[in-house]
Amino acid sequence: MDTLVVSLLNGVIYGLLLFMVSAGLTLVFGMMGVLNFAHASFYMLGAYFAYALQGTLGFWAALLVSTLIVGAVGVIVERFVLRRVHHHGHAHELLLTFGLSVVIAELVKLFFGNYPVNYRVPKSLDFAAFAIGTSEYPFYRLLMGGVAIAMFMLIYLLLTRTRVGIVVRSAIYRPRMAEALGHNVPLVFMGVFGVGAALAGLAGAVAGAFYTTNPNMAIELGVVVFVVVVIGGLGSLEGAMLASLLIGVITSLAVGVDASLADLLGLVGARSWAEHAGGLLTLKLSSLAGTIPFALMLLILLVRPSGLLGGKA
Amino acid sequence: MRHRGLVGLGVAALIALPWILSQGLLNASIQMLIAALFACAYNLLSGQAGMLSFGHAAYFGVGAFGTVHAMNAFRGAGLLPTPLLPVAGAVAGLIIGAIVGWFATQRTGPYFAMITLAIAELLHSLAPHLRGLFGGEAGVSTMRMPSLGLTFGSTTQVYILVLAWVLASLLALYLYMLTPVGRLTLGLRENAHRLRFLGYNVHNLSVLVFSVSAMFSGIAGSLQVINNEAANYVVFDSSVSASVVLNTYIGGVRVFLGPALGAALMTFFGYAVSDLTQSWLLYQGIVFALVMVFMPSGLAGLFEKSESLHRRFGAAPLAPFFAFALGAAVLIIAGAVFVVELMQRMFSQDYRALATTARPWPPIPLFGRQWSPTSPETWLVPVVSIGVGAACVFLARHVLFKLQDRQESRVSATPFNQH
Repeated sequence: MDTLVVSLLNGVIYGLLLFMVSAGLTLVFGMMGVLNFAHASFYMLGAYFAYALQGTLGFWAALLVSTLIVGAVGVIVERFVLRRVHHHGHAHELLLTFGLSVVIAELVKLFFGNYPVNYRVPKSLDFAAFAIGTSEYPFYRLLMGGVAIAMFMLIYLLLTRTRVGIVVRSAIYRPRMAEALGHNVPLVFMGVFGVGAALAGLAGAVAGAFYTTNPNMAIELGVVVFVVVVIGGLGSLEGAMLASLLIGVITSLAVGVDASLADLLGLVGARSWAEHAGGLLTLKLSSLAGTIPFALMLLILLVRPSGLLGGKA
Repeated sequence: MRHRGLVGLGVAALIALPWILSQGLLNASIQMLIAALFACAYNLLSGQAGMLSFGHAAYFGVGAFGTVHAMNAFRGAGLLPTPLLPVAGAVAGLIIGAIVGWFATQRTGPYFAMITLAIAELLHSLAPHLRGLFGGEAGVSTMRMPSLGLTFGSTTQVYILVLAWVLASLLALYLYMLTPVGRLTLGLRENAHRLRFLGYNVHNLSVLVFSVSAMFSGIAGSLQVINNEAANYVVFDSSVSASVVLNTYIGGVRVFLGPALGAALMTFFGYAVSDLTQSWLLYQGIVFALVMVFMPSGLAGLFEKSESLHRRFGAAPLAPFFAFALGAAVLIIAGAVFVVELMQRMFSQDYRALATTARPWPPIPLFGRQWSPTSPETWLVPVVSIGVGAACVFLARHVLFKLQDRQESRVSATPFNQH
């Protein structure tokens, strides 16, 4: 029971983290129709900037500054790279962001080496928040969840309660009309792109200290984020939230399950056959935790191709 | 194809290669041929049918493992004689491609891209667990069996085998594009809605194109296994998928042999500089990004453009333009390479360990000289090089505009030329 609660908590917090990255991705997609392949690279950049600045600025200031830098990188990418190729169409933009993700990953390798860097949770935050049964729950995980939730509240209030939010939403909904009414839509696009990048950067800066910070973290998280937005429905923030939590909880729970397909087949008396067949049938679910999101995605594509909360394509 | 003579000459050169090149270079040529076939197979899907796949390593890998198991079948006797082994890779690629394609082509555009990426990652994360099929971390090794009087022991014989398969596959891909289905493939890219209105089953057509592309990717993977006599789950790595995308678009997707050109060039450079630099993928990524921003039609498009310029203005007036353009390219590349390599050495683990103890920072050996990272002269070199290069770009554009202006004024000056 205790382990169940712990993995549920872990799953929810991982899900919140996923949402922090996928929110920007899905927002930018809904607005500009651009699938930003380099979005997860912003997450990685956040972690590396925070790691590099941590020594001189301290943990909290490094968090803030790296978020701002990544946001600025996002703005530069939108203004000087993506906008140049906008007239070539979305496929072209997608390819370009793919190239950018390769370049960013290689630059990170160039400056920080092709191995995990020693980015750790600071001593002052490395303590147990509370104990569930015998296991102590790290405070830092709660902090990650807290940062994510605080961010959503902020973004949500910004989008729904302010004038800027109204302009942004109208630019997403009817860009040409908003432009005709005298709003600077390209500026709005640039701003949203920057904010999305900054969100991913913040997520990276916070999560990089807890998980590992290495040059592969972008592609590893990137594919999961893509799975999240496919399952949630591209362009839908609520869908992204739902799918993030779903994937977070399912992968986290799966790690704790030691059963395999052979056990399932054992219920119908085919265990010995399954164990003889081996391969996929005897693999433990726990070792497959990384593949479950993909399987879930294929399932969603079969039964509901537009995603859980996506509109008709 | 307009350049029939050129292609014929190229094929003749390729056949003559084993008598010209050393073993090492011949091996590199095998890699280039395989990369060229892979890129063309990929281009069928992404360039011609307009479906961007970011997980083509999956079908390359499936073809590779299909072949490795075919070679090891019957206690190493092999399921097929060695020259026919790529058939195993083709079948494996076709079957997996049809299954995956059925899922992936449910959606189009960015969804399709994400699904293909996720499926490749699925295979990549699953493969090391399936020891029996993919051999775990160590992979599966095998042996080329002698067949049809050939031992396949020498690089030359393997080269001939690979060349034959690559040429046959490229020809098949080219002929495919001439068939009605090939025309429909282009229609898929241009306007899938319209195809649906015309009564075609777009989903089935997409699955077909996807499977054909996967099949030829499988052949490429298969040829790699025949060359390496081993397969490892690393072939499913995302970097394999990435490099085929980069190669294809650097080469140019609108010309049939463009991707092959890009892949061959990139593989060759990768081979040539692999001892000199650790940042080859960075250069490749930068070249790709520059191609996407400044010349979307790729290297092949660059050739076509210079050819049309040549037809329009003649060689002599264009000479200064090409001189400036070439100068700009050389200077900017030199400056950029200098910066990247210097940075690479400056931030390497060894140097950082040195720099913590030694004051001032020790000089860095690069291109046969010592460069002090703190002296301004070191940084002046790339700045001047790139600056002069940029000036050359400006001059080249100026020359071209002048030429265009002059021609236009001449055209408007001639009477009876109004449309």
